[in-house]
Amino acid sequence: MFTTQRLIVIALCAALNFSIGSIVYLVKLPIYMDSVGTMLCAMLIWPDRKAAFVCCLISSLISTLFTGLLVNPFLPWFVGTDLVIALCAAFVTANFGDTFRARPMQPVMFGSRVLIAGIVTGVVAAIVSAPVVVYLFGGVTGSGSAFLVAFFLKTGEQLWKAVLLSGLTADPVDKTLQVLVSALLFRATPSDFIAMVRGSTPARA
Amino acid sequence: MTPNGAIVFGAATILATVTSGGYGLALLYTLVAIFSLIEVGPRCAGGLKRAVIVMAPLAAFMLVIWVGVVGRSPSEIATGVEGSRHSALLYVAVVSARLFLIVFLVQAVVMRFDDRTPLSFVRVLNMPSAAKRLIILTLSLIETLRNSVDRSHTALVSAGVVTRGISLRNVGSGWILVQTVWLTAITTVTARMRDKWPVENTLALLGPALDGSEKGLSVRDIVWAALAVMAAIAGYYLSWRYA
Repeated sequence: MFTTQRLIVIALCAALNFSIGSIVYLVKLPIYMDSVGTMLCAMLIWPDRKAAFVCCLISSLISTLFTGLLVNPFLPWFVGTDLVIALCAAFVTANFGDTFRARPMQPVMFGSRVLIAGIVTGVVAAIVSAPVVVYLFGGVTGSGSAFLVAFFLKTGEQLWKAVLLSGLTADPVDKTLQVLVSALLFRATPSDFIAMVRGSTPARA
Repeated sequence: MTPNGAIVFGAATILATVTSGGYGLALLYTLVAIFSLIEVGPRCAGGLKRAVIVMAPLAAFMLVIWVGVVGRSPSEIATGVEGSRHSALLYVAVVSARLFLIVFLVQAVVMRFDDRTPLSFVRVLNMPSAAKRLIILTLSLIETLRNSVDRSHTALVSAGVVTRGISLRNVGSGWILVQTVWLTAITTVTARMRDKWPVENTLALLGPALDGSEKGLSVRDIVWAALAVMAAIAGYYLSWRYA
């Protein structure tokens, strides 16, 4: 399961999650962008779904640990969300890897699959995150999506509904963007690197 | 104190912080202050500064949302009463105090071992070898990504694709920069895996280098951990008693 190549991919994707996620958190955009590496990890390791799930989950947990310790103290409480994002990445997003790398690009297929993967991941992530946001933080975390919670509260919604509505508004958009970025990065990744990670080309390391 | 003991103490205190109310938090603040003064000394002022840097914008953000926009605390919203900005302010103060304590504690634990390199710190941790490898590789690759950003940025500035300052051209070429950073990182990692590491036998040497000896808890570690647990129980009781 944990070949050297996979360990490197896990670490690289964790570093990617940490770098992009930290920048977006500090800018306070109403999105997160902290799972691009998780999705990319699943696509790089696919078609071994079990390994893809375990490896992208580990990369997600490592980046959550580092980001939680160094930048965003809210993040470590969302490990449940990490788990469902890893599940969606390994069992939904990674299935579309061939479409994402197809040459020439088929824009309609590419776009529709990005949308499907993004919306599925976003809806699931919003539902799993909502209890943490409500019970642990009373509705507001440090991310920009707190503005949406505040907006729904001002319109008279109850806390639970406001958090869920905010999640269902922001998460599908955020996750679709993340799937798009990870799909484009996957598309740009050299074939020999992917072959090395998947074990079709023996590495000397 | 050993790194394992510091992590046990940190984890116990963080869990206590999350579950404690006002009185419990006061108790935990006292414990963490004593810990940082004894274990870190005057250098802990640096950790305090870092915690303020992390928490001040976050607290300001929560103030804007809760006090400025919503104007009620979550409990008031849940019970459907009208509420006040004062209770919203109190709520933000408690949440910020909790997070501040957590951030400062992490800083104090890190500063306690700042005479060690990340490799020597991870080496003595009581965890599986694969986990230690992953942590070290991730730290190394975060630096690789930073270097990739520098290299790609410099190359694209030289090529006239992006500019050093803020410009419209940067908005249009932003994606090229992201792709270049990723490809630079991939190229570096591929070169390491295929050429550099096999020649230097890096991965084979990493195993023994991470196999530390200092893995048990010292008496001092146990005392700190026990104090954290006692503070947690006392804090929980006080918060419940005077709720």
